[in-house]
Amino acid sequence: MKLSSAKVPKESKAASPSHGGHNQNSFHSKGRSGHTILPLQPVDELEQWSSVAVDMHNNNNHHQPQNSHTSTSRSSDYSAGGEPCATGNKWASRLLRECARAISDKDSSKIHHLLWMLNELASPYGDCDQKLASYFLQALFCKATESGQRCFKTLTSVAEKGNSFDSARKLILKFQEVSPWTTFGHVAANGAILEALDGETKLHIIDISNTLCTQWPTLLEALATRNDETPHLKLTVVVTANIIRSVMKEISQRMERFARLMGVPFEFNVISGLNHLGELTKEALGVLEDEAIAVNCIGALKRVAVEERGAVIQMFQSLGPKVVTVVEEEADFSSTRYDFVRCFEECLRFYTLYFEMLEESFAPTSNEKLMLERECSRSIVRVLACDNDQDSEGECERRERGSQWSDRFKEAFSPVGFSDDVVDDVEALLKRYKAGWTLAQPHQDETGLYLTWKEEPVVWASAWKP
Amino acid sequence: MAMAIDNAFEVDFSSYSTTTITTTTTTTTDDDPACTWNDWGSPVLDWDSLSSERDEFQDLIESMIDDGTGLELARVGHETSNSVSTYTMVAKEETNDEDFKGLRLVHLLMAAAEALTGANKSRELTRVILVRLKELVSPNDGTNMERLAAYFTEALQGLLEGSGGGHGKHLITNGPQHHRDEHQQMDMLAAFQLLQDMSPYVKFGHFTANQAILEAVTHDRRIHIVDYDIMEGIQWASLMQALVSRKDGPPTPHLRITALSRGCSGRRSIGTIQETGRRLVAFAASIGQPFSFNQCRLDSDETFRPSAVKLVRGEVLVINCMLHLPHFSYRAPDSVASFLSGAKTLNPRLVTLVEEEVGPIGDGGFVGRFMDSLHHYSAVYDSLEAGFPMQSRARALVERVFLGPRIAGSLARIYRTRGEEETCPWSEWLAAVGFKPVNISFANHCQAKLLLGLFNDGYRVEELANNNRLVLSWKSRRLLSASIWTSPDSDL
Repeated sequence: MKLSSAKVPKESKAASPSHGGHNQNSFHSKGRSGHTILPLQPVDELEQWSSVAVDMHNNNNHHQPQNSHTSTSRSSDYSAGGEPCATGNKWASRLLRECARAISDKDSSKIHHLLWMLNELASPYGDCDQKLASYFLQALFCKATESGQRCFKTLTSVAEKGNSFDSARKLILKFQEVSPWTTFGHVAANGAILEALDGETKLHIIDISNTLCTQWPTLLEALATRNDETPHLKLTVVVTANIIRSVMKEISQRMERFARLMGVPFEFNVISGLNHLGELTKEALGVLEDEAIAVNCIGALKRVAVEERGAVIQMFQSLGPKVVTVVEEEADFSSTRYDFVRCFEECLRFYTLYFEMLEESFAPTSNEKLMLERECSRSIVRVLACDNDQDSEGECERRERGSQWSDRFKEAFSPVGFSDDVVDDVEALLKRYKAGWTLAQPHQDETGLYLTWKEEPVVWASAWKP
Repeated sequence: MAMAIDNAFEVDFSSYSTTTITTTTTTTTDDDPACTWNDWGSPVLDWDSLSSERDEFQDLIESMIDDGTGLELARVGHETSNSVSTYTMVAKEETNDEDFKGLRLVHLLMAAAEALTGANKSRELTRVILVRLKELVSPNDGTNMERLAAYFTEALQGLLEGSGGGHGKHLITNGPQHHRDEHQQMDMLAAFQLLQDMSPYVKFGHFTANQAILEAVTHDRRIHIVDYDIMEGIQWASLMQALVSRKDGPPTPHLRITALSRGCSGRRSIGTIQETGRRLVAFAASIGQPFSFNQCRLDSDETFRPSAVKLVRGEVLVINCMLHLPHFSYRAPDSVASFLSGAKTLNPRLVTLVEEEVGPIGDGGFVGRFMDSLHHYSAVYDSLEAGFPMQSRARALVERVFLGPRIAGSLARIYRTRGEEETCPWSEWLAAVGFKPVNISFANHCQAKLLLGLFNDGYRVEELANNNRLVLSWKSRRLLSASIWTSPDSDL
């Protein structure tokens, strides 16, 4: 199952945002207009990296409905109900799981045979099954040969070498264009933050994430268009991934320029080089007494070593925030971390969903899709083939489910529900994408919101107050 | 003796030159996706080598696995570091690339057979493995192993899709054929000629049987041979020549041949039975051999009714059963059994049987039989290569015309019975139903050795069992067996 070798057509960024009077459009004011401000459309020009009143209908038109090409992996192995089994009877998942079990059982001839077979059939350029086989094979191989740490370091340095501001930005923006995987969390978090900090004049948002600040232009615009006086915003970004560090300089310049454009009094700081998130202090973050604090954690908590997560949450509490927003992917590699087979199965389940989502969201020969898959390969190796106790800064990848994070947060915070307005905004966001994405509200004891894809919860967003 | 004379008969076929051989070029797939992804190039991974479609990591794994040494698996406690799996053991023996690839193909084929029928069978996995195999092999190019693997892959594909094998008794190995195709005819004749030139299989079967017949009928005046599958009839041309040039005994005996014909002849053949008959009649006339030819039609279910054979007093009856010469198709076991048991009631003086040798039937199920079949045909391919080392196109023709369909048919048979069927060799069957073995004469054995001496010295002939069986082997693999029998009440 090879990808066609046709040259990837030059993508034309067709989105031409209309510059309709954005002053009339507010994020969510009482007399809401039909337009809401949602995350940016990707645009080429540097200077246009501004949020303007995005005309939703324009954008819908520009979204080419991408061929939902059925990859060969979606052949006939669905459960009776017609629902996709994420790790059903497909050949790749079967072989992989068998191999994982063989490794756990230390059955070396079986391991040998399965690794060989997977190696024959896998390809990072094939269909979903082949890709999963390829990346998980890498992790299994490393596990069997105890070379996970080395492999991870290699993969990471490869990625870092190729990294650049342009490529990173292009990747994130393209992903946001085709899938709400990341934008969901942005919209929900922004909504919660704006509501919690409503009426404050000095805002300080502590952004612990690796989103290249793609979350903030929308928020800045919302601040700018509120009827009241535009508050002062201080944004302190705490970077945990090495890869992102190098590009933050460019980002800070752009953010400052953008804020000027918006007319928002703005201050921007970056903190990097931390060994442990738990070491952050008010002083280090530059928290001042008269500031209203919001802590925004997007995909950052999973990077904290499992044993230190409690301490990190305590640290948040010590900052005295008005709201803490947390967005994490819905998978549990944490409670299973001492049981290789169970952890493997959960990992396979999650990444199968993710890869299938990528497959259906992007064009078949998309570079960005390949980059994202390569990122996964690092995470997979990290989770499955690297020992638990060697987490240096920000390298852990042990995700937890929303319910697990909730249990942790409940020690120090209480949950804040998302208002109807925010829920509406999220639903409007989801409409912009291909079918398959829905919003799931929490059940009885659950908190937060879930983004679901093909009825599987994939991302969890929540908000907390002291 | 019999050997030197078949050239005369071959005059019919020699007009077919090898210009009828067509080759197809394999299309190479366009596999260079590298152009768009070099933006993310890195010094560690060589992205420009994407044309091979496998990245370095895969090659690394492969070399470590094949090596057997690099893959130091995590401490496995009580397990000894050298597992006795065949993979590591065999991998260490082979050293060059071709062998590596051959080994890899064998592993893949075995994995496919396993996936198709094993305990954890999965059509999906089988399909994927076959796709991979098809990327690696072609029926026209490459080494013996690669071409062989191509046919096995195709056969497995047929099984997977459910189109392989025949239905009921008739094993039509190449699908229905509503009319004889001109080109196919020519191809078959050309391939047959090549097969004769490059290997002793056909001659071995014919000459061993003929020699035994000659020895059994020395004092008879009338001979009647019932031939199960006469095909092109070339066996009888040799016999007739031998009869005509006999020094001792009465003048040339009268030879009558009854050929069994099948009603619905869906199988390919080098000509109809009638044509064979005409040809034999003409040939006999040309050398002064008294001869007559009959057909005996079989029903559609191929049940043999002995009463349908016209018997004449004073004739010595010989039953000739050629089964698995390379250019033959498989016959359904029921048909053969029906013939041989019916033949017993006719009390023949001699029964000549030629069949393929299969490996011992273990409990390996389908996969075991599959691998045995692979081994068998691998030996055949190697033997043909020894016969015509430079003529790979010629061999490819023989493979395409004869061996490919044989492989498909063979696998279909094994698949239908999942390797469980107790298919004992026919020679055992004959012994079990009461036929008595007849010794192969010293002269016959010598003749066989002489025949093989004309070909490659990889061929061997052994005398086996009750001395009534000659087995032709290539290297250490037994391929074809010729055995001689007589009726239970006969006094031979």
